[in-house]
Amino acid sequence: MSAPEGYVWALAASDLEDGGIYPFSVDEEERIVCVIGEEIFALDGICTHEYAELVDGEIEDETLWCPLHSSGFNVRSGKATNLPAVLPLTTYDVRVDGGNVYVALEPRIKQ
Amino acid sequence: MTVRPRFAIVGAGLAGHSAATTLREAGFDGEIVLIGDEAARPYERPPLSKQFLQGKKPSDELFFHSLEQYAEHDIELRLGRRATALDVARQQLTLDDGEIVAYDKLLLTTGASPIRLRQPGFDLPGVHYLRTLTDAAELGEQLRQSGRHVVVIGAGFIGSEVAASARMLGNEVTLIDLLPLPMVTALGETLGELFAEVHRRQGVVLRMQSRVDELRGEGRVEEAILADGERITCDLVVVGVGVRPNVELAKQAGIETDNGIVVNEFSETSAPNVYAAGDVAHWWHPGHGRRFRVEHYDNAGEHGAAAARSMLGLSEPFIPLPYFWSDQYDINLQYVGYPEAWDQLVLRGDLAEFAVTAFFLSHGQVCAAATINRPRELRSVRRLCEARAVIDPVTLADPATDLRALSRNASRP
Repeated sequence: MSAPEGYVWALAASDLEDGGIYPFSVDEEERIVCVIGEEIFALDGICTHEYAELVDGEIEDETLWCPLHSSGFNVRSGKATNLPAVLPLTTYDVRVDGGNVYVALEPRIKQ
Repeated sequence: MTVRPRFAIVGAGLAGHSAATTLREAGFDGEIVLIGDEAARPYERPPLSKQFLQGKKPSDELFFHSLEQYAEHDIELRLGRRATALDVARQQLTLDDGEIVAYDKLLLTTGASPIRLRQPGFDLPGVHYLRTLTDAAELGEQLRQSGRHVVVIGAGFIGSEVAASARMLGNEVTLIDLLPLPMVTALGETLGELFAEVHRRQGVVLRMQSRVDELRGEGRVEEAILADGERITCDLVVVGVGVRPNVELAKQAGIETDNGIVVNEFSETSAPNVYAAGDVAHWWHPGHGRRFRVEHYDNAGEHGAAAARSMLGLSEPFIPLPYFWSDQYDINLQYVGYPEAWDQLVLRGDLAEFAVTAFFLSHGQVCAAATINRPRELRSVRRLCEARAVIDPVTLADPATDLRALSRNASRP
């Protein structure tokens, strides 16, 4: 089973749990898959404020909290919702196919 | 003809910026005039004592918005301009160049200024204070030359962070405070001792319970004289002994002040159509039944936004859970909760390894907490503080306790 064109394999869908944050990388750039209920989102894995790995953060409702200085990001849009971050996280399209989670290589919205 | 209402904001720090952008986001289509006495447009201050000072973050990364973004949001900037008079009856401000700015509503986010020391020699070149981008640029230039001997007076957050940055840049550092431990007022003795040990291990010389009586030098500071007679040779002195809220404009206008501009939970001052927020505001917390004045970053942003909503009649009481962080060397400190009296300290983790979460309990309730190099516990800790959870201290301290599950249960209504 190969990834659709322009997408990369991130993880097996069976590994996903509600509220989970899962790391994967594209050309050594860290990215994350986030789960809210039945929905799956993919974002950059490093906080836009300072270097911090968001995989160590936590999701509450639709907010992803950075562990280092408590910046908040909307998981759907990537928008910074809580200081100190002001810049959004880049988001990527997600496809689930044959029990696998694939993430687009290029950003969903160009920034 | 319809005249657009004009909202003026005096003070272009984070609180003022946050208020201006919140007004637009909430749909306000009147005029917004943001007045600031610094030449620079609003910027982040926390890096001024850390990454910016260390030369790791350039100034152009500190600004919240580009000038174009302010123009897009139709936010009129008056930078490098000071409001010299306020007439609350006529609803108008006078700026230092004589311009009169009439307003329908006014927000004061005038911030705070470093307390200046007046002892002999404190007017010598080489004595620095740290508040603005200009202050930080001048100090950073000196510190980055390395090999200097720096005396830092005041071991609160600013002083401790400057000491760490100066040391990381290869300077000799002596950190002096009247109190027995760094940041002891905010963190208590146990965590204060932890940070004292961190600084000592990094090679900072601590002179606690000490006072600088005088600075001496020929044309430039060369020596600090302590009250016990000790003389410390130095090239630079940085003073970080706290700030005073900038209340002059409000006070002159007859607005009630008391350790800041007095406001209620809706950011309203004693004068009609005048609001205040951020470091300068001494605000009423209905739940605690007392006023607080908070000098932290997140508070400035959240309070500015709350005041903006109040100005639009979308009033909700401002009752945040205060949060701040500090980074010194490789130590990350995060703190949530109100600075209130606590009677029990519960530690989770390893003090000696500088990786510990500290819970401050009041009558058995978790009222505040600090994580030191345990950032993953911050959200859990925050939920426990929000819920003022009552948890057996043994359970809190037990490394086997799943803090995330515990805190999610505690915060369930």
